[in-house]
Amino acid sequence: MAKSSVTLETPSELKRPALVNHDRSIHWVTENVSNIVESSTPKWWFLTICITSPIALMGLVCIIYQISNGVGVWGENHPNGWAWDITNFVFWIGIGHAGTLISAVLFLTRQKWRTSINRAAEAMTLFAVVCAGIFPAIHVGRVWYAWFLAPIPNTNAIWPNFRSPLLWDVFAVSTYFSVSVLFWFVGLIPDLATLRDRAKSRLPQIIYGVLALGWRGGNRQWRHYEMAYLLLAGLSTPLVLSVHSIVSFDFATSIMPGWHTTIFPPYFVAGAIFGGFAMVLTIMLPAARLFPQINDMITRNHVDKMAKIILLTGSIVGYAYLMELFVAWYGANKFESFTFFTARANFDGKGWYQWSYWIMMFCNVISPQIFWFKKMRTNYVVVFIVCQFVNVGMWFERFTIIVTSLAQDFLPSSWGHYAPSTTEILTFVGTFGIFLTLFLLFMRFLPMIAISEVKGVTPEADPHHHPKH
Amino acid sequence: MSKRIFQHPAESQTGKRYWRSLGQLQDSPDFRQWMQREFPQGASELEGNDVSRRGFLQFMGASVALAGLSLASCRRPLKNLVPFTKALEWSVPGKALFFTSVMPGRNGGMPLVVTTFDGRPTKVEGNPLHPVNKGSTDVWAQSSVLDLYDPQRSKEVLFGGKKADFAAFNKELDGLLKAAGDGAGLAFLTDGAVSPTRDRLRRRVLAKFPKAKWASYEPNGKDLELAAAEVAFGVGSEVVNRLDRADIVLTVDRDILGVEGDIASVRGFAAKRKVDGPKAKMNRLYVVENRYTLTGGMSDHRLRLAASRTGAFLKALSIEVAKLSGDKSLNALAGGLKATDVKFKDKWVEECAADLWANKGKCLVLAGHKQPVAVQALAFALNASLGALGKTLEVRKAVSVPTDSIASLAEELRKGSVKALFILGGNPVFNAPADVHWAEAQAKAGTVVHLSLEQNETSAKAQWHIPAAHYLEQWEDSLASDGSYIVGQPVIMPLYSGINSNELLAKVAGVDADPLVLVRETFAEVTGASGEYSAAWAKTLKSGFAAASASKTLNATLRGDAVAKAISDLPAVRLGENEFELVFIADSKVDDGRYANNGWLQELPDPVTKLTWDNAALMSPAAARKLGVDTGDVVRIAQGEKSIEIAVLVLPGHADNSVSVAVGYGRTEVGSIGKNVGVNVFPLQTTADRRFLTGVTVAKTGKRHALAVTQEHGALEGRGADLTRQATTQEWTENAENKDFFKKMGIDAHAPTNFSLYTHPPLDDVHGWGMAVDLNSCIGCAACMTACQAENNIPIVGKEQVINGREMHWMRTDRYFASEGGDEDEPEMVSQPMMCQHCENAPCETVCPVNATVHSEDGLNVMAYNRCIGTRYCANNCPFKVRRFNFFDYNQRSITDLYRWNLISEKGTPDSIQMQKNPNVTVRMRGVMEKCTFCVQRIQEAKIASKVLASDSGVVPRVPADSFTSACAQVCPTDAIVFGDIRNPDSRIAKLKEDQRGYRLLDYLNTENRVWYLARIRNPNPKMPDAARAGSASKGGHGHGGNHEHASSQNGGHA
Repeated sequence: MAKSSVTLETPSELKRPALVNHDRSIHWVTENVSNIVESSTPKWWFLTICITSPIALMGLVCIIYQISNGVGVWGENHPNGWAWDITNFVFWIGIGHAGTLISAVLFLTRQKWRTSINRAAEAMTLFAVVCAGIFPAIHVGRVWYAWFLAPIPNTNAIWPNFRSPLLWDVFAVSTYFSVSVLFWFVGLIPDLATLRDRAKSRLPQIIYGVLALGWRGGNRQWRHYEMAYLLLAGLSTPLVLSVHSIVSFDFATSIMPGWHTTIFPPYFVAGAIFGGFAMVLTIMLPAARLFPQINDMITRNHVDKMAKIILLTGSIVGYAYLMELFVAWYGANKFESFTFFTARANFDGKGWYQWSYWIMMFCNVISPQIFWFKKMRTNYVVVFIVCQFVNVGMWFERFTIIVTSLAQDFLPSSWGHYAPSTTEILTFVGTFGIFLTLFLLFMRFLPMIAISEVKGVTPEADPHHHPKH
Repeated sequence: MSKRIFQHPAESQTGKRYWRSLGQLQDSPDFRQWMQREFPQGASELEGNDVSRRGFLQFMGASVALAGLSLASCRRPLKNLVPFTKALEWSVPGKALFFTSVMPGRNGGMPLVVTTFDGRPTKVEGNPLHPVNKGSTDVWAQSSVLDLYDPQRSKEVLFGGKKADFAAFNKELDGLLKAAGDGAGLAFLTDGAVSPTRDRLRRRVLAKFPKAKWASYEPNGKDLELAAAEVAFGVGSEVVNRLDRADIVLTVDRDILGVEGDIASVRGFAAKRKVDGPKAKMNRLYVVENRYTLTGGMSDHRLRLAASRTGAFLKALSIEVAKLSGDKSLNALAGGLKATDVKFKDKWVEECAADLWANKGKCLVLAGHKQPVAVQALAFALNASLGALGKTLEVRKAVSVPTDSIASLAEELRKGSVKALFILGGNPVFNAPADVHWAEAQAKAGTVVHLSLEQNETSAKAQWHIPAAHYLEQWEDSLASDGSYIVGQPVIMPLYSGINSNELLAKVAGVDADPLVLVRETFAEVTGASGEYSAAWAKTLKSGFAAASASKTLNATLRGDAVAKAISDLPAVRLGENEFELVFIADSKVDDGRYANNGWLQELPDPVTKLTWDNAALMSPAAARKLGVDTGDVVRIAQGEKSIEIAVLVLPGHADNSVSVAVGYGRTEVGSIGKNVGVNVFPLQTTADRRFLTGVTVAKTGKRHALAVTQEHGALEGRGADLTRQATTQEWTENAENKDFFKKMGIDAHAPTNFSLYTHPPLDDVHGWGMAVDLNSCIGCAACMTACQAENNIPIVGKEQVINGREMHWMRTDRYFASEGGDEDEPEMVSQPMMCQHCENAPCETVCPVNATVHSEDGLNVMAYNRCIGTRYCANNCPFKVRRFNFFDYNQRSITDLYRWNLISEKGTPDSIQMQKNPNVTVRMRGVMEKCTFCVQRIQEAKIASKVLASDSGVVPRVPADSFTSACAQVCPTDAIVFGDIRNPDSRIAKLKEDQRGYRLLDYLNTENRVWYLARIRNPNPKMPDAARAGSASKGGHGHGGNHEHASSQNGGHA
C-alpha cells in the first residue's frame, strides 16, 4: 500500500463569535449602560408610560369591580369554572420562566452570552410573575379568605389540603418569586454600586447607596458575591423546572379528559421556556432599537441563539401535541379521544373551540420552523413577528387546555359554551399595562444590562484571546 | 270556649309581626319604599338582551361617582333577635311542626303535610297516608310555598285601582245584594278548583238568588273530557284512568304523565314499571303525539303525528280494532268521523291494534283531553270495545259540578243584564279564548269584584279587587282525585289580610263567614259526622282526609247513539301537507299563567325543552330547515288577522307540520318576576279550537330572541351505553343470569379493574348514605328539582344568568335525545336525574386547596361553606358537573341588579322571602361552592333523634331503615328515587344497589359513587316496525347518536 504523504498543520483556532461587538472597552460598557439611567428621560418613555399606566389602572379598576361584585362579572359559568383567569395565570407564569432559566441554568452551564440579556430577562420574569400572581388571587370567590391557603396553626386544627395541586401552586409560585427576586437583586448589587458612585445628586446617591448594601468591589466581597450568586443559581435551577411542572399538576392530577395527562410537566416546562424567550425577545428587540448604544452588547448573535432555543422548545411542544393525539388514539378511551379529536382538533365538526386549537398549532409548531434558516434567525423583523405568534400561540395553548376540556366533558348534558366578559378582557389587558409599566420603570431607573457581568465578556477582559495582546 | 279556637291574638306593640296583618308594614314608609325600589313596576330587566351587557365604562364611571355618595348607607342595619315571651303550644324553636292540608286544584286536591318552623310554613310534602299520592307531590305543590311569601302578592282591597278597605267593600256588597232581588243581575265565575265547601255555598247562593248565573273557567281544565264523558256515559259522569291496571296503554295527544295528567295517573303508570327482574310483568306504552312530552319520553313506541290528526288516527285504529273484534258498531262510529286520510307509518296502526286487542280488558286508550268532544267520545267507544270499561277506565259521578261555560256567561254580560259579577280566582281577561272577548264583556257588567292572590290583568279591569288568602292561610277543603274528602288546614295567619272564596260566598249567601265553621259544616255534610269538635274531625285533621269518602264507580255503558251524533256533528279537520297547525300546550311551569310570578317555576327548566323564563314555538328540525330558522329566531305565527311573534326552539321528534306553543306567558299585569316573560298565545285560541289551530302560517321575521335553555346539548354523543343504560325486555331475558350485564356496558365493558394507590380514611360510621335512581320509572318531571330548591334554600338567578350558564339547581334532570345514525326526526328521549354522586373517592375533595369539601364517615361528600374560598377547582374536577358556584350574591341582590357596583346597589332579601327559608340549611353567600348534600339536615335530625332514643342505654344509635328520606326522594311521584342507609340491610337502598340493573356512572374512573342508577328497560312489541330501534340510545360506540346538530344547537343565547 503506497504511503501518502500528509502534512499535519496546526489548525487555525476556531474563534467564538464576539459577545460584545466592535471591541468595546470596559469603560465603554459602564458609560453606555449607566447613561440610560443617568441621561434625561427620553420623550418616547413619557409617551409610552402615559399609555401603559392608565391601562394598568384600568386593570386595577376591573379587579376592584370584580372583587366587589363577584366572579360573575366574568364570563365563567358551569361547567367552565376556569377560563381566562387561569389561562392568563399560566400564560404569565410561563413567561416568567425565561428570566431565571437564562440567569440560572445558562449561568451554571457557562453560557456566557447570557450576560447581556439576563438582567432584563430576570426583571421581565419578576413582572410576569407579579401579573401571574394576580389571577389566582382574584379568581377565587372570596378573596378576603385567601389566607386560608396559608398553613397557619389554629385552634380548630384546620390545615390547607396538602393533596391539592392548587396549594402546591401557592408554595411553588411564591418560592419561585422570592428566589427570583433575591437572585435578581443579588445580581444588581455591583451595578447599583456603580450607579451610586456615578450619581451626581444626593437623592440617587442615597437610594442607590442603600440598595447597593455597601458594596465596595473588594476582592473578598467579589469572592462572597460570586459564591452567593452561584448558590442562588443552583437554587433557582430546580425551581425553573418545578414551578411549571407544578402548575401543570393543576391539570395533570385531575380526572378531566385533556387534563389528565402524564406528559404535562415536561411539556409545560418546554412551553414555558418557549413562551418566555419569545417574550424576552418581544421586549428586548424594541429596547435595542430605542437604546442604540446597547446594540454592541445585545447582538445578532444573541438573537440567533434565542431563536434557536425557540425553535428547539417549539418543536418539543409540537412533539407533545402530537404525542397527546397519539395517546388519545392509542388509549382507546372515548372521552379522551373526544376531547382531542373533537373538542380540540375537531375532526368531525362537533367541536366548539377548534379555532383556538389550530391557532395554537400554527403559532407554536409551524411558525417557529422558519428558524431553521439562519437568515431568518438574524432578521429582527422576522424574529419579532414570530415571537408575537409564539406569545399568541402560548396563550391559546392554555386556553385550549382549560376551556376545551371543561366545555365538553363527560356528560353532554352539562356541556356549555364560554365567552369572556368585557371586564375579564380588560383585566387581562390591564395586566399588560402593569407589566409594561413596571418594565418601563425598570429600564429608566435600573441598569438594564448587567454591567459587571458584561465587562467580563468584553474582549478586553480576555487578554489571552484578545488580538490586541 | 276551648283554647284551641283560632283567633288573632291581640296586637302586640313590640317585635316584628310577620304573619299577622300587614297594617304596620303598610304604614311603614321605609318598607314601602324599599319594596318599590326592589321591584320597580315596569322593570323589564328580564327581557334579555337589553341588560345583558351593560356598557362597561358607563356603569364603571357612574358607579365610581355614586359609590362615594352612598357610603353613608353602608352601615349594618340594626337587627334584634327576640325570644318568645310566652311559649307557644307545640312550638319548639328550630324544630319542625307538621300539619295536614290540601292544595286545591283542577284535578282535585293534592293531599299535603306542611312543614312549619316557628309558625311559618317552609315546605310541603305529600300526605304519606293518602292513597292517591302516598307522600309524593308535584312541581306546583312544591313551589306553592313561594307563592305564599311572594312580596308582590295582592295585599290590599282596591277600588278602581286605589286603596280601599274591607269596610268599604262590605258596604258595597250589602248594597249590591239588596238590589239583587232574585239574583237575575248576579253572576259568578270561578276557577276549576275542586272544593266541596265552595260547592255547598254555591248551592246556598243559588238558593237565595235562584236566577244568578254561575260559570267556571279553567283554561287547562278537563271540561271537554267531561263533555265527552257526558256524551258517552250520560250526564254527570266522569272517567278515571286506571293506569295501574293497564298492561298496554296507548295515549293519543295526551301527555298523561306530564301536565295533562294527575299524580294518580303517574303513580298508576309507574307501578307497572317497577320491575325486579326480567320475569316481572311490565306495561307497554304506545304514544302518538305531535311533540316530545314526558309521556313520549317514557314510550316504548312513539308515533309523531300532528295533533289535528288525532281524530284520523283514532278512526284508523278503531277500524283496525273493529276488524279484529268484529265490533260493527265501533266500525260504524269510526267510519262516521270525517277525517282526511293519513298514511301512518308502516304497520304501526295495525300492530298497535293487534296488541291492544290481544290484551283486551287490560289495555287503555287515552285521547287528548282538549281534543274535540267527538274525538274523545270515539276514544271512549274504542275503550268500551276493548273491554276497558270498568277495568282500566272507570266511570264515576263527576266530582266537579256542571256549570255554565265562560262563553255563555260572556253572552249574558254582553246583553247588559249582569249588574254584579264576582270573579273568584282565575284571570279570564288574560286567558279566556279570544272569541269570547272577555275583557269587553266584563266591562259591560255593572260592578266587577275580583278575588285573587295577585293583582292581574283581570283585577286591572275590575272595580273591586279583593286580596285572596293563600291555601296555606285559611281553612279550605277539597276532594282528592279518588274523591276522598280532604281538609285544608291553615298553617299561618293570612299575611296580607286576604280572604278566601268561601268567605266571600258566605257573605253573599248571608251565612256565618267564619271559614273554619264553613268547612266544618261541609265536613259534617260529607261524612255524616258531627260538625263540632268531634273525634272524627280530630282524626280527619290528623290524617288529613276522611278515610271512607272515596267515591264509588258507576256501572256505565256506552251510549252509542249519542256518540254517533257527536261524531257526525264534528266537521272534518284539514291539515294540508304544506300547512302548519298551531298546538296550544299547557305549560309545565306557569300553567295557564297563574304561576308567572313564581321565580322557582320560571327558572325551572321545562322537563322536555329545558327552557326557562320563556315560552317558544317548538318545531321539528325539518320544519325549521324548511322555514330557514333555528333556535332563537323569531317567527310570526298568523291565522287570518291575528298573529304572534315568538322565538323558535327546535325540538327533535316534533311532528313536521306542527308548531307547539305553551300558553300562560306574556303576562302584563303581574309582579316583576313574570312581567313580559314570553309571549301570550291566548289571543289565537278560540272556544272551538282549544287544542289546535289549523291553517296557520309561520314566517321568519329576521329578529332574534335569546332563549335561556339550561341544557345546551341534547345528544348523547355515543355515550348512551356509559350514561343512560338501557335494555329491551328481550335483551334482559337473554342476559337474566349475567350479573354484570348492565354493569359492563360502554367503556366499563373493557376498562381494567379499578384499584387505588391511595388508602382512604375509613368510612366507619354505622350509617352509610346512598341513593338509587330507577331510570325505568323516572318520568323526568323535575318535581325533585323544585323540592330540592324549596328544601335547600336554593336561589334563583334570573334569565340573564341562566343564559350565562349559572343556574343554581343542585339537582337537574338531564334529558337526552338519541338514536342510531343520528336520526333527529324520531330520536328516543331519556331523562336522568343528576345530583352529587357522593363519590367515596371524590375527585373534588383532593383538589380543594383549603379542605372545604371533605368526606364524612357516613359517606357524605360534605361542603363546609365557611371554609370555601371559591377556587371552583372542585367543580372543574367533578365528572358529573353537579357543583354550583355562587357567581353573585343571589340572596342579597336583586336578580336585575347583579352587575351594579356592590357598594351602591340595594342589599337584602324581602322579609317574606326570608320566612320561606329552611332554618336548618345555611343560606350561602357569593363566592361559595354548593351542591347536593343528600339533605344532610334531615340526616342529622334523624341521627339526633336516634341518639335521643338510645339515650344512655349503651346501644349504638342507629337510624331505623327508611325512617326518613331526602327531599327529592320524598317528592318523587313515581318513587324512582330511593335514599337510605346502605349499611342497614333492611333498607330499600341496600337491596336496590344490589339489583342487577344497578350501575354507577363512569365507574371506570374509580370514583366509587354512592348513587346507583337502575337501567331502563324498554318493552317494545317485537311485531312493530320500529321494535329493533328500541333502546338505541344506549347502543353503539363512537359516532352514533351524533349529527344532532339541532339538538345541540339548543344553546339559547349563546349562539
